[in-house]
Amino acid sequence: MIAELVLATLFGLLLLGIHRKVIARIQRRPGPPVWQEILHAAKFSFKTTWVPATASRALFIGIVLVAIGIWTAAFFVMMTGGSLLVIFGIYMLHKIVEHAFGLSSGSPYGKFGGVRSVISAASEIPLFVSVAAIALFTRSLTLSDIIAWQQVHGPLLIIAFPAAIAMYLVLLSKMPFGPFSIVEAKELVSGYKTEHFGVWRAGLEVCNGLKTTVLLATFLLVFVGQLPLWWMVICMIALTVSLSFACALTPMLSPFDSVTIQSLFTGVMLVYAGIVFLWVAA
Amino acid sequence: MKRSAGRLLAVGGISCGTAFALHWSGWIPLWVFAAVVVLAFPPTVLALFLWWMAGEGKEDIPFIGY
Repeated sequence: MIAELVLATLFGLLLLGIHRKVIARIQRRPGPPVWQEILHAAKFSFKTTWVPATASRALFIGIVLVAIGIWTAAFFVMMTGGSLLVIFGIYMLHKIVEHAFGLSSGSPYGKFGGVRSVISAASEIPLFVSVAAIALFTRSLTLSDIIAWQQVHGPLLIIAFPAAIAMYLVLLSKMPFGPFSIVEAKELVSGYKTEHFGVWRAGLEVCNGLKTTVLLATFLLVFVGQLPLWWMVICMIALTVSLSFACALTPMLSPFDSVTIQSLFTGVMLVYAGIVFLWVAA
Repeated sequence: MKRSAGRLLAVGGISCGTAFALHWSGWIPLWVFAAVVVLAFPPTVLALFLWWMAGEGKEDIPFIGY
């Protein structure tokens, strides 16, 4: 399981590299090589490192450990077919991690990035409705039960298509350079991670790699079901490419517009969940 | 700094390795193995990076606005 953990981290970084490459090609730029994010993590890990004088030392270092730790836990939950609620609880916890990254540095750019991560919590509301719709269909929130349910009834991607769209929107909000990536907008330099450089940034890259693998794999397990390993890899790459197209072809929204669109989508999803509830009860 | 990071790396690596071996041989359940890895993996990764990094610089004050 430790080898899988390391491979999942490297694969997640590779997916982020593919994401950057596809966006660049759509925008008619050569773009970096697909393994650039892996090189990035390695490069940062070799750099001279210190803690800024204005930072809260314990929080500045501790939050990097927390960031890697929570996604390691999410990876184990996913691999053992555990509760979907735990994975999404960890997803929510990541918001607090982003916030703490920004606040711990003592830099205004980091702080603004941290504050925006709280504003963008609106992106999680479609997630709740998506989870509710899944629970109404499958009567369980355990990944292994959801996978078993799909083996009998077919993929939830077809049966609960609006819930899949809502979850896709959540994935989109977590991808870099996306329409909802307001925490990493260029006017904030690098947002919440501005002051985390060197070894600390390399740790954050490890967290991002693991997070990308866990979120994409969870999406496939919940909405498509259990696939053979190679099909899982191919589908995760295809999912990344589709997200890259969405990111490349849409401008980054202002924080207000981002929250408004996600809230509107939540409203639509609530109506859908209400219809599903009445249909299941009938 | 590098010496402490090296020690932490060794402790973390041994913890993960021991937990894996104990779980593989059926001595500890999966959740204990997972708990050990969740606690030991992050400091091991950071200790590895701190151990092989170029060096420790002098702390500075970041740009805090005009």
